[in-house]
Amino acid sequence: MNDVNRTQQEIAARVKALESMMIEQGLVTTEMVDHYVEIYENQVGPQLGAIAVARAWTDPGFKARLLENATEACKELGIGGMQGEHMVVLEDTDDVHHAIVCTLCSCYPWPVLGTPPNWYKEPQYRSRMVREPRKVLAEEFGFSIPDTTEIRVWDSSSEIRYWVLPQRPPGTEGWTEEQLADLVTRDSMIGVGPARAAS
Amino acid sequence: MTTSPTRPQPDPEQRRHIEELVSVLPGRSDHQKFDEPWEVRAFAIVVAAHTSGQYPWSDFQQALIDSIKGWEESAGATGDPSWSYYEHWVNALEAVLDRRGAVDPAAVELRTREVLAAPPSRNHHDPHYEPVAVHAAVRS
Repeated sequence: MNDVNRTQQEIAARVKALESMMIEQGLVTTEMVDHYVEIYENQVGPQLGAIAVARAWTDPGFKARLLENATEACKELGIGGMQGEHMVVLEDTDDVHHAIVCTLCSCYPWPVLGTPPNWYKEPQYRSRMVREPRKVLAEEFGFSIPDTTEIRVWDSSSEIRYWVLPQRPPGTEGWTEEQLADLVTRDSMIGVGPARAAS
Repeated sequence: MTTSPTRPQPDPEQRRHIEELVSVLPGRSDHQKFDEPWEVRAFAIVVAAHTSGQYPWSDFQQALIDSIKGWEESAGATGDPSWSYYEHWVNALEAVLDRRGAVDPAAVELRTREVLAAPPSRNHHDPHYEPVAVHAAVRS
């Protein structure tokens, strides 16, 4: 009842165990649990990636350093120290769009991106994204990539964790970093959506 | 943004309902800020099981109060500075399920060991330096 000294790993395993047992006994369904997670999934983790993206949009020097060595560049913003993983940032342009996949949530840089959405962990997402990324983005995410843009899909692992630097939305000239960071969604850093449009 | 069937949009009405539930609970003012992925999972399980009629909310509320109280008493005695709000949610959920005979604590313990012992998936540690797929552009 009162094991307050459990490690994060132990408690995460315990939650997983409880969920699987409750599903087996028909007390809840995966869909129900997913549904409530969906409501709050954007509020998990610091989503520090948005700050880094906004900085890259406004500071060309930082952007160059971010693309050169994301792990080092992020340290400038006080982002880092997470399991020592090597982060690589992929820049979207008119010519190339990037998206990332990984079936393991442990391969997801969640301190940078927030919590991984459930669909990201589904094998179907990964296999379809590898097979027909243009179609998946359009059909599942309502994100149409022009035919004139190449799509590259990257596989994150615990050794290299990729995330995407989305294109800066038009009409945001002169915006502050804070305003810009609000436009950066988790999906845009996975590469399954654009940054929010300026309104 | 998207209305895909695989990505249901949260219903504001439901969110308000959840916030009403949470508002009667002890121990937290800035609710619904999660620091770890397991926390939101635990939160969602508790709300889902209540919504599907597994227990009245007041049972969960009382179990949460008990868990926090137990911690305060033992922490006061030992000077333990640790505090994990959602760990008390997990404790409270286990207590409620146990009391209703729904989930056996020993079985939870066993399953937890199994989860911890599960080997990491293959390929986990291999870096991938190239894209796994490229969908070429069509330029005329």
